[in-house]
Amino acid sequence: MTGVDNAIGKAAKDFLAEAEEIIDQLSLDLVALSDCADGGDFNPDLVNSIFRGAHSLKGLAGMFGFTDIAELSHNMENLLDSLRLGKVSLSQNTISVLFESMELLGTLVQSAGTADRQLHDISQAVARISSCVCAVQKEESVSPLAKLGLSERVLGSLTEYEEHRLLENVKKGRRIFSILASFSLATFDQDLGELTDVLKSAGEVISTLPSAGGGLESSINFEILFGSEKVSAEVTALIDRDNITVMLLGGESPSPPAEMQEMVPSLAPEASMTAKSMSRTVRVDISKLDELMNIVGELVLSHSTISQLAGRMRLDGYSAPSIELTKAAKGLERKLTELQKGVMEIRMIPVGQLFEKMARIVRKISREQGKKVELKMFGADTELDKLIIEDISDPMMHIIRNSIDHGIETPEKRILAGKDEKGVIKLSSYQKGNHVVIQVEDDGAGIDIEKVKRKAFEKGLIPSLDIQDREALDLIFLPGFSTSDKVSEISGRGVGMDVVRTNIAALSGMVDVESYPGEGSSMIITLPITLAIIKALIISSVGRTYALPITSVLETILVERKDVRTVEKKEVIQLRENTLPLLRLGKFFETEAHGGQQENFYVVVVGAAEKRLGMVVDDLLGQQDIVIKSIGETFKGFKGISGAADLGDQRTILVLDVGGIINEAVRGGA
Amino acid sequence: MKKILIAEDSNTMRSLLVSTIDSLEKYEIIEAASGFEALRLLPREQVDLIITDINMPDINGLELISYVRNNPNYQDIPLFIISTESSDKDLEKGLALGANEYLVKPFDPLKLQELIGTYLG
Repeated sequence: MTGVDNAIGKAAKDFLAEAEEIIDQLSLDLVALSDCADGGDFNPDLVNSIFRGAHSLKGLAGMFGFTDIAELSHNMENLLDSLRLGKVSLSQNTISVLFESMELLGTLVQSAGTADRQLHDISQAVARISSCVCAVQKEESVSPLAKLGLSERVLGSLTEYEEHRLLENVKKGRRIFSILASFSLATFDQDLGELTDVLKSAGEVISTLPSAGGGLESSINFEILFGSEKVSAEVTALIDRDNITVMLLGGESPSPPAEMQEMVPSLAPEASMTAKSMSRTVRVDISKLDELMNIVGELVLSHSTISQLAGRMRLDGYSAPSIELTKAAKGLERKLTELQKGVMEIRMIPVGQLFEKMARIVRKISREQGKKVELKMFGADTELDKLIIEDISDPMMHIIRNSIDHGIETPEKRILAGKDEKGVIKLSSYQKGNHVVIQVEDDGAGIDIEKVKRKAFEKGLIPSLDIQDREALDLIFLPGFSTSDKVSEISGRGVGMDVVRTNIAALSGMVDVESYPGEGSSMIITLPITLAIIKALIISSVGRTYALPITSVLETILVERKDVRTVEKKEVIQLRENTLPLLRLGKFFETEAHGGQQENFYVVVVGAAEKRLGMVVDDLLGQQDIVIKSIGETFKGFKGISGAADLGDQRTILVLDVGGIINEAVRGGA
Repeated sequence: MKKILIAEDSNTMRSLLVSTIDSLEKYEIIEAASGFEALRLLPREQVDLIITDINMPDINGLELISYVRNNPNYQDIPLFIISTESSDKDLEKGLALGANEYLVKPFDPLKLQELIGTYLG
């Protein structure tokens, strides 16, 4: 049984993730429901969706032995069930009880994730829920469904909720239609989706009962119960399809019964409630954390100023006060580091949240594409700045779409290639120094390098077909590049891998691709852990000062003029066993055409992903914590600059975007 | 290898069902995240057993059972309901429609394994 036990351990983690997701959704639905009620409206779909959420949560919590969560959600489910079946009306009091219970649920689920979990007292909350359920118990209504003449089969497969909705529709004096549709098995989901969309615009789809079609292997029939104020002819006109017939049930227009159930929220007197919140968590707008981080950043700068001042005092001969000031500055630095770490930790969330989102996308796309894809995740607990996780989700989604669309083959092709018909996409994440690496691997066909080369050549992106495979792979990141034979709904045209790279670069990240023909391909995204405060190497080049994120700096070396060789008009030096291309910032930014007349100069070796570049600089000015500020939309087009930073002595300098510079240099041959 | 189709909209519950069955190492599992998906998978796979939840979006479990029991191609496939105890009426309807067994969430993995063994051997 250990297999099952292990699986349950993993599933318990899944449970927490799903429970949180359910609660998030419930909260959203509840807010929408409350807004609806404020407008005097009752939305049965919302209530049903909240009911289903509470219902799932109960089942799941029970499975994992979280009895308090199970019991609370069970009670909520009861109340919601009564609501959706019309046994209880939606009052302000009910809504606030629901909100309160939801909040408590959130707390319970959160504490379920901690090791030393204590049982919470939920008796008060349960009592309040029960008081709502008992408050209004309506007598069971006599079924007026008989005169609709529904078949046994339809009646037999209506859930209690569907039955209630049917009754509600009848009570409101709506006509009930039985709509029979026959679709091909191959396309029925799309056809049925279109049909229900049309119907929903004119009434309520109460149930959808499938049955075998005439050709068992090729078609499927649906009998839809539909409630609407429209007459038969209108509904028929609305649908306007040959293979669909509309039948009115129970004769023409029953007049609305006198006792119509009004679902207008009644303002019941507030039950005795404590004002004290039961929650131990606080939801904070991320912009508030940003502000806090900014203040920490400014403090870090002030500290730098003080340290510099202390250094100057020593040079000026005030050694005793200088030592004291240095000591005080050290103390300040320690506390600042703690503060910085604290604020940073608040912003950190596990990559797993991003992965979960991707799991849904994988399911959706693979279904649309008729491909079988299994998603495997590794390192889901690696943490990243919340903002980065948010900004990376679009590029990730695009990469995954590409993998399924272009990478993973159809089940038939996979079997022919001797592979399992189910493709695998592996998402993994791990920390590497100050970076987090997220890798998306697939076991598909890999990238057809020859095809990439031909395409790039045809589009005039490269002058000849004679380029290295490694460089050819990089061509997929060029604007307007796409090797797909046909335009797919999934990968689309327009948005290509170039946008993915640009978006990732905007986060000071890098994306790299590896491909093994027939075995699959892999996208490697390297991201900084946080964007807020970084350590930087301050350099000067041709009279200008720049900051280089220290995480991109591999080493600094002193080079003699005579060691520089020229290969294909590019300056290079030999660094151990590798040839290192050199880049002159003056030339790159076109601030100065020539330079480098000195006999000795410093080269800062920078790297992003697997690429290396030597930046020629005049001087190394030191290391410093900097806060990168955006330089605004106007300068967004400038390659090689990721932002600006204040040095704390009134000087503002530019921060270099190493990834961008390397890409430009490799492509343009600067 | 006999195939078991699981129709369940909760990812966690589904993966729990999957791992419970997987640990027997005897059956292939086909997962459907909705009644709809189950309808699509049925004609493609030679299914030997169906396990379905009742409360699902789009096509619910009862509708799925009704479909299966009224389709000559599938009517003999054993079918289990797995649902919560609160939906008593729905459960009764499911059995009336021809479900063979039902399990109440939280389900007992051993019970499920035993039931599967009884029906599939």
